[in-house]
Amino acid sequence: MRSHVETRPPYGLMVWTVISLILSLAFYAAPLRIANGPDLMPMLPLMTLFIWSTVRPRFIPPIVIFIIGILNDVLTGGVLGVWALAYLVSLTIARSRDEDGPTREFGPVWIRFLVVLAIAIPVAWGAGSLAIGHPAPVRPLLIEGVASALMFPLLAVLFVRRRRTRGTFGS
Amino acid sequence: MSIGGSSRRRDESGVRFSRTFTVALFLISIVLVAFDRPQARSPALASLRAGITDLAAPVLDLVAAPVRGLSNIGPYWRNQAHLAEENADLRQRLNETRYWRDLALQLRDQREVYEQALRVESPATQNRIGAWTLGDPDGPFVQSRLIGAGTRQGVDSGDPVLNVYGLIGRVVETGNVSSRVLLLTDLNSRIPVMADRSNARAVLVGDNSDYPRLDFLTRNAGLEDGDRIVTSGDDGIMPRGLPVGQAQRDRQGRWRVRLYSDQAPVDFVWVFPFEPVRPPEPESLSDDQTPPVDTAANAADADSDAEPAPAGTAETSAGGEP
Repeated sequence: MRSHVETRPPYGLMVWTVISLILSLAFYAAPLRIANGPDLMPMLPLMTLFIWSTVRPRFIPPIVIFIIGILNDVLTGGVLGVWALAYLVSLTIARSRDEDGPTREFGPVWIRFLVVLAIAIPVAWGAGSLAIGHPAPVRPLLIEGVASALMFPLLAVLFVRRRRTRGTFGS
Repeated sequence: MSIGGSSRRRDESGVRFSRTFTVALFLISIVLVAFDRPQARSPALASLRAGITDLAAPVLDLVAAPVRGLSNIGPYWRNQAHLAEENADLRQRLNETRYWRDLALQLRDQREVYEQALRVESPATQNRIGAWTLGDPDGPFVQSRLIGAGTRQGVDSGDPVLNVYGLIGRVVETGNVSSRVLLLTDLNSRIPVMADRSNARAVLVGDNSDYPRLDFLTRNAGLEDGDRIVTSGDDGIMPRGLPVGQAQRDRQGRWRVRLYSDQAPVDFVWVFPFEPVRPPEPESLSDDQTPPVDTAANAADADSDAEPAPAGTAETSAGGEP
């Protein structure tokens, strides 16, 4: 017997996906540093894209990744296409691995996210450096990368809790 | 702990997206990177960016508002303990400020008299425009701020932007209700400056560090540690005399500037709309209006009949014979 998840598109979940992506962009770009505290904003858009592409891949087609990347570039004042390219490359590679045999255990998923970061950061650095005409500083990117790697479990727990409390994720 | 569920596996393990389309998106991204370089940004892409930031501005403002409130809580409670002390200090400062205010008004009156006598017009600055910052990502590729004021409020490209302590940068992109400010520390920032004490000219060059460099410093500049650096206005885009920072040598002996604006987070800023100095329009001379031979008499006539000099010639006129 097919469940209603398979027969009817989960519109509520789609809306939640869109809202979470918009919020991740807004929190990433908004001035959230309190006074002169450290600037430790993780790459929220990449984290959100990765989680959704792991949980609900059909909600995150390449065009969505591209649009989020472009919006990320615009809102941060960067060169258009840099983060779009980095997100596309890293998440496409992650997906090609997914086809080999997906795993839903948290440990491997976290490791896979680290791989995505390890691809996205050099691609963004390379594309950004080419665009501005000289090597861009690596430190801010590394700080963002480390912050993302460490904060990924927190964001992932939100999704896992949601799945546990409602049975099938988002349905 | 696991992410996703068994039903998801049944539903979506077979999701495939068109590889051709994905490759096309790769190529579009690469083309965008090539065409949106800061050195050669196309106007169409610039207006697209401005349009998107206009749309995003209210959302960013909404997200940032609670943090603004939070960041004010600490200083508020700290200040409660020192209110009496602070009050006395402020009264003292107010008394001192009265003296400077009187002096400033006196000097303004004097300047107006001199300008009238010399027939010069200073480049006028209009009223400043206040705005909150809506976005402050310190990314590796660009150091900029998104502010909540645009062309509708009178902000224009090139306008200088200051916080309470000094210059933070200039407007590089304007939307209807938002603008992007390129910080002085950004790699693409170039601002002509001068030392207040010695008038030594230089160009303030951002290099993504907290202390921008002073390049093209004139020979025998006579710069000293702690000299106050202000905008020189030599580019005709920024007004002269905006406070920038203090000169200091780095370990390699190069001159850098400790920015005044670093004393506070860049949260609320002022944009100073500035009418840049326009070059004089070339005179169209017909055959019967051949310019007269340069004689002392003609020169004197020209002097007495001349219209007030454009603002760009103010210094020259002021330095000449009254």
